Amino acid sequence: MNLSLVPASGPLFRRTSLPLLLVAALLLGVPVAAGVGFLVLGAAGASGGAVGSVVVRVLRDHAVLQSLMLSLWIAAAGTLLALCIALAVTLLLSGETRVERLARTLAVFPLPVPTVAATVAVLLLLSQSGWLSRVAASLHLIAVPAAFPALVYDPIALGVIAAVVWKEMPFLLLVALSLQSLRGSALADTARTLGASPWQVARRVTLPLLLRGMAPSIVAVFVFVLGSLELPLVLGPSAPLALPLLIQERRQALDVTLHGDAYVIALLATALALVAVVVHEWTRDDTA
Amino acid sequence: MMRRDGLLRTTLGVTLMLVIVAPLLMLIATSVSHAWFYPRVAPASIDAVAWVELLAAGAHRDALVNSLVLGISTAVVATALALPLGRAAALGPRVARRAIALLAFAAVALPPVALGVGLQLSVLSLGLGGTLAGVLLSHLVPALGYLTLVFLGVFTRWDRRVDEAAATLGANGIARWRLVLLPLLRRPIAEALALGFLVSWAQVALTLLVGGGAVRTLPLDVLAMLQAGQDQRAAAGALALTIPALIVLGVSRSAARNTPAVVA
Repeated sequence: MNLSLVPASGPLFRRTSLPLLLVAALLLGVPVAAGVGFLVLGAAGASGGAVGSVVVRVLRDHAVLQSLMLSLWIAAAGTLLALCIALAVTLLLSGETRVERLARTLAVFPLPVPTVAATVAVLLLLSQSGWLSRVAASLHLIAVPAAFPALVYDPIALGVIAAVVWKEMPFLLLVALSLQSLRGSALADTARTLGASPWQVARRVTLPLLLRGMAPSIVAVFVFVLGSLELPLVLGPSAPLALPLLIQERRQALDVTLHGDAYVIALLATALALVAVVVHEWTRDDTA
Repeated sequence: MMRRDGLLRTTLGVTLMLVIVAPLLMLIATSVSHAWFYPRVAPASIDAVAWVELLAAGAHRDALVNSLVLGISTAVVATALALPLGRAAALGPRVARRAIALLAFAAVALPPVALGVGLQLSVLSLGLGGTLAGVLLSHLVPALGYLTLVFLGVFTRWDRRVDEAAATLGANGIARWRLVLLPLLRRPIAEALALGFLVSWAQVALTLLVGGGAVRTLPLDVLAMLQAGQDQRAAAGALALTIPALIVLGVSRSAARNTPAVVA
């Protein structure tokens, strides 16, 4: 009689997983490789093989640099602001009063809302003929819509950033709250016992732990905003264009010599995203 | 001191709620407004013209049906693929686990416009350019990335002794899946289906590039209405996008906890 109660913990599962691992690598890797590969081919084709000269031209193009800076600004400012609000809510609204509980429940509402819908709502609220402008006019603060400060299509993309914060804060909040509930309050309690003030506990214990745990999600939000087409399409400035819009513009340009630029700029955006992918994987806790 | 602290928290909580709810209320108000001229703060009267048009006009209905077909197909196919793949990655050696996680996140993180340009050429070479099937294939790329990360997270924390106990009791592979794994996975599967649906439901860039304008979906219609200055219709369309998404919120809420990456 076989009394071994620990069967096959190794081989039983390993055997089935090797072909599946290959399938996984193929299904995930092939589209990404095809995407990048066709961009390289596209750049080569559109430039008649002279990719090098297109790359040099694109890198020297002032418009490309401005687009890049605008996209990085939107992603950085939006992510940072969303993060600050998510942390503030986690730290300050962690109590069990009715308002705090309701605020935490409502705060995750924007999470599944499609970005297009969020941009429509932000446009209706913040544009110069939007609701805030109407409130300002009815309070006699402004006389005509044009007197209302430009919060959408503006050069520093305030409207885009507002939409990013509304849409992405809930995700960061959800991650922060779940980290908080997983970790418990033992470390913070210990620090309190040792004489730390609430502010010191937040600054030295809670925030560093939260930020460490949230790092992959922060990178994810940043890279998602960086690549978003619809955010700057609806709310962003027309000069400079955000990077995804610049790619579209160059691809559809009447001057066919600019089509090669589109592929090279897309490769540039892809390279930025791949850096973020590596950072994401590097900051991720592989065991949780 | 305590009272001032409580007041601060209440003020903060109420402000947060207003900021979260205001855009949704704005969409509702605009979608039913009639002749809402500047500088009126509230619409003078309401009607359901935008909603009737959205649901009754043939073209919009086609876009809605396309969006639903794409969303449901993406959810089902991506979940069916991601579950075994995420499990294999989680149970595999560490290097394989990290490589799969890296590839899965790359599929999610690449700018859709850049990925779409490449996928457009791939789909064209398959003869599926401008078809619903081609667009479905392109939606599957980020969806499979997200869901692989979900199931990788689920199975990294999986208690393998459950499967082992079933194996000890004589259950073969199929029986273990049917009797042990799938019942235990009901919740993550529901979350994955919701997330897969949402990835496709909200997709703009990939639909635009791979569909080449021939495949209309609700998000593209909403953008078109907005660019045509039809605020009332765009608001109704945006709500038609939001309501199904909020319905699946219930199931997708805890997906973030099981996912090491973003829930878009």
